[in-house]
Amino acid sequence: MPDQTWTPGACSIVGIGETDFSKASGRTPLTLAAQAARAALADAGIAPRAVDGVVRCDMDLVSAPALADSLGADDLTYWGEAGPGGSGPAAMVGQAVAAINSGLATTVVVFRSLNGRSGNRYGLVGEHGAVGGDNNYEEFFLPFGMQTPGQFFAVVARRYAHEHGLSIDELSHGLGSIAMAGRAHANNNPAAQFHQRTMSREDYLASRMLSSPLRLFDYCLETDGAAAVVVTSTQRARDLAGVHVPVLSVAQGTGRGVQPGQMFPALLRKSITTWPSAATAPTVFGRAGVTAGDVDVAQIYDCFTITALIQLEDYGFMAPGRAAYVTPEDLSVGGRLPFNTSGGHLSEGYIHGMNHVVEGVRQVRGTSTNQVDGAEISFVSSAPPPGASAMILGVDR
Amino acid sequence: MTDAQPSPVLPVVDDVDTGEFFAAAARGEIAVRVCSACRADVHLPRENCPQCGAFSREWRVVPPLGALYSWTVVEHQVHPATPVPYTVVLVEVDGTDGVRLVGRIDGRAELEIGQRMEAWFEQVDDVTLPQWRPIRTDEESTA
Repeated sequence: MPDQTWTPGACSIVGIGETDFSKASGRTPLTLAAQAARAALADAGIAPRAVDGVVRCDMDLVSAPALADSLGADDLTYWGEAGPGGSGPAAMVGQAVAAINSGLATTVVVFRSLNGRSGNRYGLVGEHGAVGGDNNYEEFFLPFGMQTPGQFFAVVARRYAHEHGLSIDELSHGLGSIAMAGRAHANNNPAAQFHQRTMSREDYLASRMLSSPLRLFDYCLETDGAAAVVVTSTQRARDLAGVHVPVLSVAQGTGRGVQPGQMFPALLRKSITTWPSAATAPTVFGRAGVTAGDVDVAQIYDCFTITALIQLEDYGFMAPGRAAYVTPEDLSVGGRLPFNTSGGHLSEGYIHGMNHVVEGVRQVRGTSTNQVDGAEISFVSSAPPPGASAMILGVDR
Repeated sequence: MTDAQPSPVLPVVDDVDTGEFFAAAARGEIAVRVCSACRADVHLPRENCPQCGAFSREWRVVPPLGALYSWTVVEHQVHPATPVPYTVVLVEVDGTDGVRLVGRIDGRAELEIGQRMEAWFEQVDDVTLPQWRPIRTDEESTA
């Protein structure tokens, strides 16, 4: 492999912003994106007209020029996007860093905006026309009843239990621990959709089965809302009023045999119990010069409990097959790996990985509602499948 | 207008890369794409072989048999034409380089990973869908 040159901390996140998270925002995705971006710019102390770069998720309904226009930007000299879908957010920050380091832009807004409940809901099959073709390969899945992300991850979860010799009850214990950890953190986070709703292990197990072995509380919250961050060079960030958080590393990965399409074709991967996150792990830790053991707090993409559980292993936080034995205490503030401290997708809201980036910044700043004392190495992951991305945030020294 | 019957979810059957799979199914066969140069199975079907780089359009017929790789029982209704509960199976096809196919079984099937499965061919409107079911060892199994 040719040498790759990465400079840890060359760029920083200097502003974070979010809208409220709800089931019915009553606003368009453009309005939500503008609100989150303006909040992030205000937090950074940067005038919106100074934005010269925008990075979006490939599934967003808002284009980069449309957001720049709403912000009143003088000129957009760079725009980019990453994905597919939830593989995006850390990679999107990476696009911003690359643009800044290469001189294509100075001040980049990275955002995700969606009416994920009141607008385009996932997992709905169209009512008209045949599916598939043009290498999206849906013809091998949807007509055969494999129609939603939850069904996909249910098949993954059962295979995981099989490969590690776990009963479904034992698997459910691990999945429940992940759901409970996120919920407990949401209960301390006034912005979380499940702020008011506590959940015991009995509550988790009593939630209705949607696609066995996955229950209602293994699924994330369909959410309306937006989240955004502002990225600029660390050198410039030092002159800004706010607290900047250096991007120690960012990485994307697929590994070999990633498979095409958005999601279902990933069932053809050689393994469906390790993911592109395993390929991304050595890159993201290597670039930052830290190990999984150095991480103080982690925001791990949790569209479903099983997705997070597998990543705990892929990123080396736990040994293969061991994440199923995790307890809620392990994943709490004060535990071995404080996890999804805003509540994550399962209990805060599903902003498609972008709210994880925002919470990762808060932890380094010391402003989380579930603050880890002295957190300096803050890990954030996005997706998989089909690809994965991840980042490590730190402090400026 | 009273259209009580929901339309089934049907596949595109004339795609240049995948159409032959459904054409074979209409003949009662399971076919997989195979690289003409290195003989690797190329599933999902496409012309460009990831193993050796060759482009080809060859298919081969494989036995309608496999092993259950994983499954789920779907309890939450999504599409009206696929009423719950139903079981989605992921089957690794015998004699292939890890080719896996998806099938639907009505109701909550009693299954075990690794068990033997066989294909059968469901006619839905003018499309044939290869489906998968457990191979029954008792004498009533003949279809």
